[in-house]
Amino acid sequence: MLRFLLVRTVGALGVLLALVTVVFLLQTAVPGDPVRASVGVNASDEVVARERERLGLDKPLPAQYASYLGQAVQGRFGESLRTGRDVRDDIGAFLPATIELASFSIFLAVGGGLLIGILAVVSSRFAAPARLLFVGGASVPSFLLALILIYVFYFKLSWLPLSGRTSLASAPQGPTGLLLVDSLLSARLDAFADAVRHLILPAMALALVPAVAIGRVLRSSLIEVYRADYIRTLHAKGLAPRSILWRHALRNALSAPLTMAGLQLGLLLGGVVIVEAIFAWPGIGLYLNQSIAFGDLRAIAGVTLVVGAGYVVVNSLVDLAQAAADPRIRL
Amino acid sequence: MAEIPRQTVTPAPLATSLGTASRSSAVADVAGLHVAFRREGRNLQALRGVDLRIQSGEIVGLVGESGSGKTVLGLSMLGLLPKTARTEGTVMVDGVELNGADESTRRRLRRRALGAVFQDPMTSLDPTMRIGRQVQEVAGSTAEALRLLEAVGIPDAQRRLRDFPHELSGGLRQRVMLAIALAARPKLVIADEPTTALDVTVQAQVLALFRRMRDEFGCAILLVTHDLAVASTVADRICVLYGGLVAEVGQVRAVLDHPGHPYTAALMASRIGLHADRDSQLPVIAGEPVQPSSDPVGCNFAPRCPAAAVLCREQRPALAVVSKHGGLAACHFQAGEDVARTLSTIATPWVAAASGRSAGNVTVHRLSVRFPGRRGLRRSEPFDALSDIDLSVAPGEAVALVGESGSGKTTLLRAIAGLQAPTSGRVDLGGGRRPQMVFQDAGSSFTPWLTVGQQLEERVAHLPATVRRERVLEALARLGLPGEVSRVRALQLSGGQRQRAALARAVIEPPDLLLCDEPISALDASLAATVLNLLGRLRRELGFAMVFVTHDLAAARLVADRITVMTRGRIVEEGTPDTVISQPSNPYTQTLLASVPEVATCP
Repeated sequence: MLRFLLVRTVGALGVLLALVTVVFLLQTAVPGDPVRASVGVNASDEVVARERERLGLDKPLPAQYASYLGQAVQGRFGESLRTGRDVRDDIGAFLPATIELASFSIFLAVGGGLLIGILAVVSSRFAAPARLLFVGGASVPSFLLALILIYVFYFKLSWLPLSGRTSLASAPQGPTGLLLVDSLLSARLDAFADAVRHLILPAMALALVPAVAIGRVLRSSLIEVYRADYIRTLHAKGLAPRSILWRHALRNALSAPLTMAGLQLGLLLGGVVIVEAIFAWPGIGLYLNQSIAFGDLRAIAGVTLVVGAGYVVVNSLVDLAQAAADPRIRL
Repeated sequence: MAEIPRQTVTPAPLATSLGTASRSSAVADVAGLHVAFRREGRNLQALRGVDLRIQSGEIVGLVGESGSGKTVLGLSMLGLLPKTARTEGTVMVDGVELNGADESTRRRLRRRALGAVFQDPMTSLDPTMRIGRQVQEVAGSTAEALRLLEAVGIPDAQRRLRDFPHELSGGLRQRVMLAIALAARPKLVIADEPTTALDVTVQAQVLALFRRMRDEFGCAILLVTHDLAVASTVADRICVLYGGLVAEVGQVRAVLDHPGHPYTAALMASRIGLHADRDSQLPVIAGEPVQPSSDPVGCNFAPRCPAAAVLCREQRPALAVVSKHGGLAACHFQAGEDVARTLSTIATPWVAAASGRSAGNVTVHRLSVRFPGRRGLRRSEPFDALSDIDLSVAPGEAVALVGESGSGKTTLLRAIAGLQAPTSGRVDLGGGRRPQMVFQDAGSSFTPWLTVGQQLEERVAHLPATVRRERVLEALARLGLPGEVSRVRALQLSGGQRQRAALARAVIEPPDLLLCDEPISALDASLAATVLNLLGRLRRELGFAMVFVTHDLAAARLVADRITVMTRGRIVEEGTPDTVISQPSNPYTQTLLASVPEVATCP
């Protein structure tokens, strides 16, 4: 276990180092002069040169890389060219909204996936709709799904709000920045319900495709487990079908869907960028979107590293879950 | 071994002859049972009207070859037939009719009165649950689970409670299965080939355990097996199935000494025992088992029976009392003993060996193979599969490598074949050609989408096409296969034909050395005998040397000029078959010998 954490941490650092390097190289390789862009087109060459010197951009590339790395280790990516504030502070302000949306979506994706997979196997009535869902769900991209959801649940049915995290002016502001948690902490059930209503559409747009993928793998892996010899032993023991499913079959079937979850949840984190833009969700995805439009590479670098770290964390959790499910896997 | 608390159930007296015991003491009563499956539009008959009664507390050995319906009969008594099965007749178990009963009735019965042990202990336990909990699920409490695990002879059971199945050996896992089967205090335990996947020494222990379980827990046991000797070492009565029908049933001694059915006689004659005649071929009844899709009018066995008459082809014989010995046999003429006599007198002596070849004096010199321990996250110790092996095989000589799983016998074979690089030492083929190999599973050694002929031709690819085809037909004919076999794929052949085709491929270009890796261990008795006969004939006709890997001392004795006994990567005994079998010097060889189940060792 300890060894696993150690190896994982080293691996994560490797991933992040590679990301930093790629981001750094991108910054030096893109056409256009970010300094010129930040000080203004009309600034004199002298001003540009001074600004360049201040930012250390006049030094040779390896030296720039070394100092960039040194800064990045401390979580400092410099000032955002667009907002003029420290990128770290910007991310700090936008991150809670993203964490909330991503966790809620992951919860929906995994929970929904398990539900779909199990129902597709044990319920004969659900088998046909499950097939439809498996084909449909696998081929809908999240932005299209987002638009469909908006059309149905906002325009046609008016059940759910279109955008943002909350419609209340007096929504609680702290201490965690996670609205669901904060509203519960301050005993504001109205704010909690409102936050959930805002979460549903973007979370569904993010979660449906992973849920269907997880469900489909779980289904085939459950079917295979049900053919195993030990299932016959369980029947011979006289166990009820329910105990066989929940106590034995499900756990044995988890390995493949968990692997799929690892892949899909990584993609889900990437999808956050688009979905946040569509639903005007004030998270780092929206921030990234705006930064891309502005060519704000420092902001892009910061967000990239945060998402990368999230990816490593999610995959480590998946590995832990896999080891917990199957005692033959040792960490 | 822990004390087994006596149960309140008084062990029922061993049932005497069938039919005399009162119906009420029968724990299971199967009557007129037909089971059929529909597959690809054809009706496959697994059971064609089986009657079998099991008295409480008795052990019945259900013997038959693959396809005889023995497993289906076991499953129907557990109420575990697949939903697609179509059944007719009655299956009463502990007073409950299982045929047509709904799922919850069957489940309650299993929970209350039945236990089951299946063939492969490696796959029959939930790999993700600790064994203690798996027993406790039925036993109710941890204390009871512990008591059961101790009762089935699991050493250090308290600590083992928290083990997962993969942490136990095959023998221990089968004991856990037995503990689970006994946990519900069943009246009947169905054990389907419970020892087939185990090493011989472990098999002997588990078989002894079955007898003790019956004596101490008072449950009846249906022991399903393809091996007459296994059944005879523990059973009170034997029931022989052939083609979905009971051929013979009766007390073990009566059936073995005075078989009423020719099939029973044939099974006993073709059995590879320690006392079979080495100088002649094993007596085998020719022909293939009944096809499940066919529906013969007369006796199932008539097409293969040496004693068959017109009546046998026209009328199906009913079970009738075998004269004066009490058993029942389904034969119009009760011809078992006659056939047994015939089979014992028609011994076919071996053909004279072809003149020995000079090439190919195989020597293995100080050979060691060490598998490195795993590196990285989980380190493990390196494993010495072979340590300092010296072995020589003269041209035309047959050497048997005998050992249990993990002894290194297969690694040695692979090293001789050049499939395993030695860590040190060397293998010298003495200028002979590349050896050929025959595997345990003949089916999977053929590429499924190529015809048998194409795959035989690959071995003689250097010859012109017309000659190639001739050679294929010649090789098939040598193995007694018709030429049509060359045009079909291996999956369309029966198990016996497939094993013959694999042999044909090995000898189409006669090798100097043939390597056989457990070629008979997955085969039914008659088929195993056929393959041993073929190997014996081929090596005498073609003069090749042979290394024969087996866990079975009796088979080794029949095929080999020399037996080499291995354990833990070392050779512990070597000698002529007669010396090794009659005067084993190594304690391990002695244990192996004592574990071989023999029809004659019946209590």
